[in-house]
Amino acid sequence: MTQNKQIKQFAKQLLKMSVEGGDLSADRVDGVLKALDKNPPRHHIAVLKAYLKLVEREVAKSTAIISHAGVIGARSVELISKQLSAKYGRSIVPITREDPSLIAGLRVVVDCDVYDSSISNVLSTLESSLS
Amino acid sequence: MSSVIEQIEQQIANLQTKAVASNTGKILKIGDGVAKIDGLSEVMYNEMIAFPGGTIGIALNLEEDEVGAVVLGESNHLKQGDEVKCTGTLLSVPVGNGLLGRVVDALGQPVDGKGAIESTETYPVERIAPGIIERKSVDQPLMTGIQAIDSMIPIGRGQRELIIGDRGTGKTTIAIDTIINQANINKVGIASGDPDFRPVYSIYVAIGQKNSNVARTLGVLEEKGALEYTIIVSAPAADAAANQYIAPYTGAAIGEWFMANGMDALIVYDDLSKHAAAYRQMSLILKRPSGREAYPGDVFYLHSRLLERSARVSKDHGNGSLTALPIIETLAGDLAAYIPTNVISITDGQIFLETDLFNQGIRPAVSVGLSVSRVGSAAQQKATKQVAGKIKLELAQFRELAAFAQFGSDLDAKTKAQLDRGARIVELFKQPAFNPIPIEQQVGVLWAMQNNVFDDIDVSKMVAAANSLRDFLSSRKEALLTSIREKAKIDDDLTAQLKAAVEEWKPTFA
Ligand SMILES: Nc1ncnc2c1ncn2[C@@H]1O[C@H](COP(=O)(O)OP(=O)(O)O)[C@@H](O)[C@H]1O
Ligand SMILES: [Mg+2]
Repeated sequence: MTQNKQIKQFAKQLLKMSVEGGDLSADRVDGVLKALDKNPPRHHIAVLKAYLKLVEREVAKSTAIISHAGVIGARSVELISKQLSAKYGRSIVPITREDPSLIAGLRVVVDCDVYDSSISNVLSTLESSLS
Repeated sequence: MSSVIEQIEQQIANLQTKAVASNTGKILKIGDGVAKIDGLSEVMYNEMIAFPGGTIGIALNLEEDEVGAVVLGESNHLKQGDEVKCTGTLLSVPVGNGLLGRVVDALGQPVDGKGAIESTETYPVERIAPGIIERKSVDQPLMTGIQAIDSMIPIGRGQRELIIGDRGTGKTTIAIDTIINQANINKVGIASGDPDFRPVYSIYVAIGQKNSNVARTLGVLEEKGALEYTIIVSAPAADAAANQYIAPYTGAAIGEWFMANGMDALIVYDDLSKHAAAYRQMSLILKRPSGREAYPGDVFYLHSRLLERSARVSKDHGNGSLTALPIIETLAGDLAAYIPTNVISITDGQIFLETDLFNQGIRPAVSVGLSVSRVGSAAQQKATKQVAGKIKLELAQFRELAAFAQFGSDLDAKTKAQLDRGARIVELFKQPAFNPIPIEQQVGVLWAMQNNVFDDIDVSKMVAAANSLRDFLSSRKEALLTSIREKAKIDDDLTAQLKAAVEEWKPTFA
């Protein structure tokens, strides 16, 4: 239990070192990894796994995964990332993905938050309200 | 016609353009009705969580990197990786008059096969109890119909009186008797047309019981004509621990509706020992740190926040009351175990039932010495006070002296008289199950006891004598009983009438 906590604590420190000006920096992550490789800590794999989890979460927080059915204009993508950046107070990088299962419309995911205006979501809401 | 089409088109357009924002997470691990969830960054403590397939859960553990939630109902269809959503609302249940006569589950959904419940309002299951300003002191009686209780351990509306004892000592029976008595009083009161009459509605919460037991209780209430004033909330042993955990709070929410709408309600929690056990089970699966008897540290708060919700509130805050009769099952009469001591400390008194008394045939098996009502005497009506004022003391003395009864003829006259009187009172208070006695009949018989009417009747015939007098009064002296009930105190006129009635009865009992 306490060992687990120590590992989490250490991973958190590593994450702090990986952030520059509020945003995760690829250079810094690279530096952290190199340093770990040179001086392997106790429970190296566990530390790396905990670090990975934190970095994943950090990436998710500053990424907007925009799923769409049909084409989506570059202008819309830019607008979405701009609005989200303003909302969350950090720069949000958009990633677009085509997903025909949405039928039509968009689904934007930033970390835990989902903004869904797709037809498939409307249909499933309708379905659950009927059952 | 075209306007209708436009309307539908507009609806579709609205749906299409409105993005639904939600906070989500993924199931990391699920088992034993408990889910560990990654994500849900905005979830609140006790918030409802939507699982796939319309299943709901409640967030109970908010940790740094995961959320622990209990699933209400069936969880076999859920698996790792499933997406879950915050709902932004606390669990709520339907409330209102439409629930009377119905049996519902821990979520307020009907389980009696009588169709949907008519209800337009919902109340949150967890609620902050009324504060000091909103409360009024307890000064109106709630009659249980059990002579030993109404005369020696009186209960007032808004009070919390614990019923405690080993298994099979008659705890449930006392609670059901009280519910039946409320129905009897309601029928008389409503028929009288008295505008000041306040009926009492009952809520019976069955936690972790066998379905057959709940069915039996339901049958008794139906047979006695009490179901129409009663709501049963049932989370049987076969239900998930989470449902058993939530059921008492659901019952409290249903009761609060009556309290908030100028009415009086009674709630029975049968029983809180099983409730605590369900909570312990959930907590162990959630890996919360545990303390004494393996209960989590906040088990005290579990019951205090529940029982604090019973109160009598002032005119401006609802003008109603919620009286609670929580039940605790002890092991070998041990009142000092963890859960019993906790609940004793947060109630306004307890009715302690003893296995020994029960086995001796003294039923209801109320232990006079260990039972107490700390606020009820302010609510006891004058008539009962007048005829029962000394009885508790006389019984207590009897219990002390009983050990010496074996010395028989060696005892002095005074001790003998005390023993004799005590033995008669014990007999007088014997009462079969599901047979609450109206307060005016209780007063009549206690008046006779106080005035030595039974002194020349053999102790072994006391039960028969008391029954005979009650029958006589109810069949022949209805007007007298009605005026005892309405005056609620015994004046010179009533004393004279009681005296005459008893003199008329005595020769009929041979
Ligand atoms: N006053 C009574 N007179 C006769 N039998 C009683 C009385 N009270 C309870 N019983 C019987 O005793 C048994 C146990 O009662 P119950 O109320 O279920 O106990 P508990 O809830 O304490 O386990 C039941 O069969 C019940 O009918
Ligand atoms: Mg019972």
